[in-house]
Amino acid sequence: MERYKIIEDLTSDVMFEAYGRTHAELFKNSALALLGVICQIDEVKREKSVTVEAEGDGWKDLMFEWLQKIISTVDIEQMFFSGIEILEMREKHIKARISGEDADPSKGGTLVKAVTRYRFDLWKEGGIFRCRVALDI
Amino acid sequence: MKEKLKKLGSFEWELDKSARPGMNVKAKIIANKAIIDQVEDAAVEQLTNVACMPGVIEPVIGLPDMHWGYGLPMGAVSAFDKDKGVISSGLCGFDINCGVNSIRTSLSADEVKPKISELMATLFRNIPCGVGARGKLKLNHERLDEVLKLGVKWVVDNGYGVKQDLENMEENGGMAGADPRKVSDLAKRRGMDQLGTLGAGNHFLEVQSVSDIYDPKFAKKLGIKEKNQVVVMLHCGSRGLGHQVATDYLKIHEQAVKKYNISIPDPQLACAPANSKEGQDYFAAMKCAVNYAFANRVVMTQWVRESFEQVFKKSWEDMGMHTVYGIAHNVVKLEEHKVNGERKEVYVHRKGATRAFPEIPVLIAGTMGTSSYILKGTEKAMEKTFGSSCHGAGRCMSRNAAIKKFWGNKVKEELLKQGIVSQATHPQVLAEEAPGAYKDVESVIESVHGAGISLKAVRLVPLGVAKG
Repeated sequence: MERYKIIEDLTSDVMFEAYGRTHAELFKNSALALLGVICQIDEVKREKSVTVEAEGDGWKDLMFEWLQKIISTVDIEQMFFSGIEILEMREKHIKARISGEDADPSKGGTLVKAVTRYRFDLWKEGGIFRCRVALDI
Repeated sequence: MKEKLKKLGSFEWELDKSARPGMNVKAKIIANKAIIDQVEDAAVEQLTNVACMPGVIEPVIGLPDMHWGYGLPMGAVSAFDKDKGVISSGLCGFDINCGVNSIRTSLSADEVKPKISELMATLFRNIPCGVGARGKLKLNHERLDEVLKLGVKWVVDNGYGVKQDLENMEENGGMAGADPRKVSDLAKRRGMDQLGTLGAGNHFLEVQSVSDIYDPKFAKKLGIKEKNQVVVMLHCGSRGLGHQVATDYLKIHEQAVKKYNISIPDPQLACAPANSKEGQDYFAAMKCAVNYAFANRVVMTQWVRESFEQVFKKSWEDMGMHTVYGIAHNVVKLEEHKVNGERKEVYVHRKGATRAFPEIPVLIAGTMGTSSYILKGTEKAMEKTFGSSCHGAGRCMSRNAAIKKFWGNKVKEELLKQGIVSQATHPQVLAEEAPGAYKDVESVIESVHGAGISLKAVRLVPLGVAKG
């Protein structure tokens, strides 16, 4: 099972689909998909960590808030991240430890402004949890 | 939907409100035929969606750089009745006050070209750019709130700019009525360390030379007197602060749509009644983001000046490095316009659209390696487009496709062959932003000039470009 893939649906922005056998795996892979847009994730070392939490009205809303939280954490901490460890996961709450290093623009990718609601979805199909996310870049 | 467009002139097309059920007003597109042939049908349909919104004023306008966006296309303008209409965070865009500043110099291209590599390296060193770049200014909450309230006035009062910068900017670099209490703590934390940073993507700093002067009288008023005169252009926005304000209020407006029972054909047109708390709170927060972006560009203007001083060993004043003008192209304004023969105040939403008031400069940033323009706003723009014009050229190829097609180092070489020195945080940036990934800006300019909504004054070509 691939973790995620970029969908060529948008000319001006980026859309991806992420996958997981569990909700936790889906949330981890979605975060990695997002971070793979923001930075050159394979180059980012896991030197230090930050704990992040997000709340939502349900799985789909939680995914939206989770990804938004990662975008804002990159700005606030001025870090890039490549490691995700889910610490707590319920339908309306997630807590995770994300690991990375101080942001170095030479390891940057594309500036992500926000998660959008365009075709935003989270569903289960073929026994796999999936989400589709369009990022405003 | 495109097949329903009626041609009114070489550069003007109309969609009657019978084009689809629910339209309250017509939609109009300013563009030449070539652009109409290429524009996405989905983008044209998005104009009709906005035409269904409550209190919308005729017409909803697509400009020649329009392309599909979230809710409203990029390159579009919509206006709403002050009392019966709505304010929509979705109709402004995530990068509130993404815009352009232009700084003239008294230097010629012949003086600058021999030192262009050194100049670009100095600019790149002095002005933080790229994803993850750290700002040089350290603000605390109190100082940030002042920036949000005052915009460029704060910059000038604190020695990062001069009074002339403030005088030559839209809104004098600060919208009145900005209320930092309406900006979330999260938005402030995102923007705290980003003041004075360029950002990334299609944002850039470009050293340009004047290639053509079409309106010598207007150009002279702007201090642009001759061909080969060197000008600097900065294109960037409100950074993480503005992005978060937009995100925060999109969520609030999604709830407002339900609360006030507003019928919208696309959930991305989330909005609130103009006079509601949700509408006015957004307006006050948006003004903060606008002011932050204006301040951002003027702080960087000062560092551009210092960079030129380091390379040319003269003071920036001696090099005549004054702000030509500064504009916003993602913004909501309360402006007076003629509606059905009478003057009234309306909320104009410009999303990838520049104000084009009569005799006021319109700055159009070209994409990397292509021309930029200074145009002049007109009365015709006031009649036809709520005083608005285009903002640039949109993408014709996704970033992913561009990375696969173009090789960053090759793009750098190709630019160098054209005499353009490029600096980027990494080669992928150049690939993403390759000229071939964008539509033709000349066609966009021809359309706005031909339609009379903004007239060509100066054409600028790049000598050097810095991108994050």
